[in-house]
Amino acid sequence: MELEKRGVVAPLLVTSTFLPLVEAQAKARRVTPRVIVVPHPVGGLNEQELVERIEAAAGALLPLADAAREGQ
Amino acid sequence: MSTDWDVAVVGAGVAGLTAAREAAEAGLRVVAYDRMAPGGQLVNLTSVHDHPRPGEVAESAGLVSRLVAEAEAAGVVMAFDEVTRVRPGPPARLETSEGAVTAGAVVVATGLGAGRLGLPGEEQLVGRGISTCAGCDGPLFRGRPVAVVGDDEWTAEEALELAEVASAVTVLVPGEPRWNDDRARRLAAAERVEVLTGASVTALRGEGLLAGVVVATPGGERELAVDGLFPYVGRRGPGGLVEEVPADDAGRLRADGERTAAGTVLVAGDARSGAVQSVTAAVDDGAAAGEAAVAVLRTAAGEASAAGLRTAAGPGLRIVDPTYGVPADEAEGAVAVGGGADWTEVALFSNSKPNATELLRGVGGRLQEHWALPELGFASKPNASAAADKDVIDWLSQRYKMVLVAVGD
Repeated sequence: MELEKRGVVAPLLVTSTFLPLVEAQAKARRVTPRVIVVPHPVGGLNEQELVERIEAAAGALLPLADAAREGQ
Repeated sequence: MSTDWDVAVVGAGVAGLTAAREAAEAGLRVVAYDRMAPGGQLVNLTSVHDHPRPGEVAESAGLVSRLVAEAEAAGVVMAFDEVTRVRPGPPARLETSEGAVTAGAVVVATGLGAGRLGLPGEEQLVGRGISTCAGCDGPLFRGRPVAVVGDDEWTAEEALELAEVASAVTVLVPGEPRWNDDRARRLAAAERVEVLTGASVTALRGEGLLAGVVVATPGGERELAVDGLFPYVGRRGPGGLVEEVPADDAGRLRADGERTAAGTVLVAGDARSGAVQSVTAAVDDGAAAGEAAVAVLRTAAGEASAAGLRTAAGPGLRIVDPTYGVPADEAEGAVAVGGGADWTEVALFSNSKPNATELLRGVGGRLQEHWALPELGFASKPNASAAADKDVIDWLSQRYKMVLVAVGD
């Protein structure tokens, strides 16, 4: 969140369990974060499960990144 | 008496946020310090049992959100600095990582530190088999044996949560369990849970990764092969943080109610010697400490001065950043785009939780391909419970246009 405040585009990869917490922290810091939510957990996944998380997160990140770049 | 703040709260967990809100609602200028983020111990729990009423279950993240929102609405300022020393004064003086501040009253609500066994090699195995967060790290031990050490309600809840994923959960109770009958029934009904009373861990096994523990029981010593160990004993309070305030053997501050021996210093929540360790008790404790802080100020200044304070104070949240201080008003809350770098400069920043880096590298790789980036930068912090190093943030913000961050697992 500090990075965003400094002008760096900083998408946050957040698992669903911790999304409310990240939102609370963002609110306390007066920042609107760019959040990419992936199903909880990430730790302990096997290779295939991790690949699925990566695909899902990439699917959300790429349009977000394109929009940030084009929006400048 | 002129002070930077009317009330400074050290620790923005349940008790701290409640105390801060209570004092702010009385019209006082209140700052709540937390070195990491608001939420305290709730950050490590997925759900809270017996809250708001016995038998009910609350989602911890939602509870944190509500507490933060209420404090914010009351005008509490959140500061992400670490408070390293409190001198009661008056005025009370707090040494923080960003310098000294003064306050008319201080509420210490730091809670307790992480559980520790105090055994050789323990710190090296933290994050490598030793954890104090079943909700965060439990999935790492899917289908594998773990042990939980402790005797309280929290220990029982963590054991029950781990029983949903681990192949076996051995609960090592140093004396006799203190958890309630309902939890005792749930533990007894859990197929993969075994509770050993009078059991203490005397040694850790494993090089680089935990492989087992040595357990002393009334029947003798035995080896227990476990991949995960969750200690909830040896948690220390903030003893030594506050001058002139004695602490008990566990470092929790001694107090009469919420009032310590130092007139300007109050204590709330688990940091208080004898506190009942529950969310509901922390809420009650925080409210009482907030009210007491208001009373301290009114006693010191008299009702007329207190009325003056009320006029001077006002709602509105300022963020005191842990590293960079108070932002200029016009910049507050801004989410600007445009560091010095160009769009070929992209980096990954990991919190080093299990698979966080792998996830980042996978997602980053897709972006690298999509944008035909020559390379990706990389940085990490050593563990999720540590604040990001200022130098790393400086470097990332100067060097990169985009930083993909893995923050929560």
